Amino acid sequence: MIRIEPPMIGLNAPARRPSVLHIFKVYYPDLFGGTLTVIRDICASLKDTFDAAVLVCSRAGGERQIVVNDVAVERVHSFGDVLSLPAAPTYPWRLWRRIAEHDLLALHAPFPLADLVFALGLGRARPLVVHWHADIVSHAALRFLVEPMMRRTLRRAAAIIVSDPVLIETTPLLQEFADKCHAVPFGVDVEKYDRPAAQADDVNARGRLVLACGRLVPYKGFDVLVRAAHARNFEVWIVGEGRERDHLEQLIREYGLQDRVRLLGSVSESERVKLMRIADVFVMPSVTNAETFGLAQLEAMAASRPIVNTALDTGVPHVARDGLEAITVPPGDPTALADAIETLINDPERRRRMGQAARHRAITKYSTSAFKEGVETVYRKVVTEEAAAKDAGSSAPAPRPRTAGLVGAIQIAAALAWSDVRHRYVRSLLGPFWMSIQMAIMVAVLGSVIGHLSNASAVARLPMLAASLTAWTFLNSVVLDATTALQGSASLIKDRALPPVIFLLQCTFRQALFAAHNAVVPLILWLALTPRDVGGAIAALPGLVLFVICALGVCLVLGALATRYRDIKPIIESSLTLAFLASPIIWTPEMIDRGSTVMRLNPLTHLFAVWRDPLASGHVATTSVIYVLACLAALAVAATVTVAQLRKAAFWI
Amino acid sequence: MASIDLRDVCLDYPLYGAYDFSLKRRLLGRLFRQTSEMRTIRAVDNISIEAKAGARIGLAGPNGSGKSTLLRLIAGVFPATSGEVAISGNIVPLLGLGAGVNLDFVAADNINLLLRISGRKPTPAILDEIWAFTELEARMQRLPLRMFSSGMLMRVLFATATAFPADILLLDEWLSVVDENFSAKAEQRLRKMVEAAAIVIIASHDQGLLRRTCNRIINLDHGRITSTVALDPPIPHHLELTEITA
Repeated sequence: MIRIEPPMIGLNAPARRPSVLHIFKVYYPDLFGGTLTVIRDICASLKDTFDAAVLVCSRAGGERQIVVNDVAVERVHSFGDVLSLPAAPTYPWRLWRRIAEHDLLALHAPFPLADLVFALGLGRARPLVVHWHADIVSHAALRFLVEPMMRRTLRRAAAIIVSDPVLIETTPLLQEFADKCHAVPFGVDVEKYDRPAAQADDVNARGRLVLACGRLVPYKGFDVLVRAAHARNFEVWIVGEGRERDHLEQLIREYGLQDRVRLLGSVSESERVKLMRIADVFVMPSVTNAETFGLAQLEAMAASRPIVNTALDTGVPHVARDGLEAITVPPGDPTALADAIETLINDPERRRRMGQAARHRAITKYSTSAFKEGVETVYRKVVTEEAAAKDAGSSAPAPRPRTAGLVGAIQIAAALAWSDVRHRYVRSLLGPFWMSIQMAIMVAVLGSVIGHLSNASAVARLPMLAASLTAWTFLNSVVLDATTALQGSASLIKDRALPPVIFLLQCTFRQALFAAHNAVVPLILWLALTPRDVGGAIAALPGLVLFVICALGVCLVLGALATRYRDIKPIIESSLTLAFLASPIIWTPEMIDRGSTVMRLNPLTHLFAVWRDPLASGHVATTSVIYVLACLAALAVAATVTVAQLRKAAFWI
Repeated sequence: MASIDLRDVCLDYPLYGAYDFSLKRRLLGRLFRQTSEMRTIRAVDNISIEAKAGARIGLAGPNGSGKSTLLRLIAGVFPATSGEVAISGNIVPLLGLGAGVNLDFVAADNINLLLRISGRKPTPAILDEIWAFTELEARMQRLPLRMFSSGMLMRVLFATATAFPADILLLDEWLSVVDENFSAKAEQRLRKMVEAAAIVIIASHDQGLLRRTCNRIINLDHGRITSTVALDPPIPHHLELTEITA
């Protein structure tokens, strides 16, 4: 066995507790809700065995690092919610930076922003546990975008924790990973709901107070509850806050229920416990499978309340079972809901019986210690397995090299190209931008010369001249570079067995990075000297993309040819000078004969026209586009043949 | 599961430069019906090798017998002219340590680049682990490699190349580090890497080394297998070595 000194030294040191990073979209004090309670409870109950940290988004400004209940919470700024997701563009980046600092990642799903990070294969070095709180039910039309990412996350996860075993059977995505799912039901601290001894009877004979609890979001089905209250005589109090508030208030007004239905907003924990104790019936009217468990109903059960819940395909009707602790009605059916509520209200004896059964179930099946143990067991197992795997060296920091396929090739080419650019900075006097300065001098000199040749205003033409020169320099260097690229990398091809195509990609990438340095010159001139027509610049982008793709194609084809046949290189070198002079790169329109056959047939004329014309005039000639697309098609065929032939490149060098 | 399966593999190495391949020659040659001269050399001739996990194969033979070419063929550098090549598992070819090194860069950047070339993501932890193995001072990480003596350079390259285990390990000659203090440690690490790999193929002139390390020795000559010798499982040497180094 190869002994690689474990890079994570901390893991083996018994003195340090392993640390868990909880990943979710929101946390206290911005919001209260079931999932947050779960995260808080996990952090608190495991604090002796695991160090916890939380990384979330926050709309509220203020401190980025706060401490909530002794847990460090880092809040990434979000600009608000888009499609129920926080718009926090820096979250994936932050998450990626934080991953290495922890021994275990606990993702509270669904949270596509975090899935993005895991789908990209980042953070592989740390084990991941997914707490599956719910499937994505809202915005089902966009599911096709998110589902592959969620699947990748689940595939990568070492364990998945769900609150009820039925979720594994009813969620298609979880079925695929059933072998690593663990059902750990949430727990409730029953003692908190013990009533003071002074209070004698907890069932009110004339009771008609119905309580519901949850964020005011559509899936909670509070609108169904409001509708159910219509034409009955029970009172409904709804605890919670959320974006549905306006809608619900309007609904209450429409039905004229202001005196019987009240939205209490957010209330403190102790207040909530009190409300649970005085309510006669607790209702969980949720309408979609986004409600997987219904922590609020479990709390009501701890407070000996009878429950009315809905027949979802999730844990909801399993936590409080129909006929035993609850009456279960079809989701989204106001009449059935109202009937069930009335049945209970009219039958104090039944309420008492169900309340006792509910409390008994909460104590025996949903204790906090069972929840703690369940989560701790999974966490421990995952961390230990990871440590063992690291010790064995079988999954040393990166489990497997990712050289396979085009993606791997592009990654290596990009790394090499980036290293080349940095090499240009090494030992340079002027720093990164000596290239840009060189370009600026070239533009200044040529601009003044041409300004004297033609009568047009030299200054007005400078931005275009600079852009053309930058583009030409890019194309020219890509081609020249490609002719020697494979020979220059002979040792990497022969001794490291890297696919030769990498080094031709590297050429294009490297020159593109240099071109980005040079592009500073036309950009500054464009900003300073022209009316800054952004529309034209955007219209030029597709043409510019075509230009770069053509450069890549030429690079592949000529790079291979020049390596195979050594006389191609000098031919290319002399042709490039000729091409520069025969193309409208530095020449102004009035200096050239546009109708000349050479100009018309020269592909470079059109290759420049497809992005330069939109920039100058906003539109581009169709002939140029067709010509360029035809060239591109030919190049694509040639490049495909070349890439197939490149297998033999090791013989040529 | 790592495996190598070569079946009747031939490799014709084209000899560019040694013969006139030009367009003129081709046209005239056809015109005058000149008999085609030998333009290729058969570097690997009808070789079949089957290796499963646990195989330790030594390639022996004189210079030019096709050892290195065969290794490169297995590594995927050269495509076979005919025959079937089926390989599964991640191959780490240690055919030359110097590939991809840029002497102008500081050592740490070089290590990061070399790791990226082998498809690994460099992290500070991996870098520290590699650097710890070189036993060089930490501040030297920030020095360009051109300031290093050849022995120190060798330490860095060796530590980087052998930092990760391989399914299939290809060695062209036993990597030796000519540094008295370091070579025992390097030897030990390489031995461990050989032990960890599922399949190891070593090309060497050193019959003694092959006998100690391999369980099968294939003798090559002019690209052909002249004989295959199956040996008893190699005696584990690392215990003895750890005692010496301890």
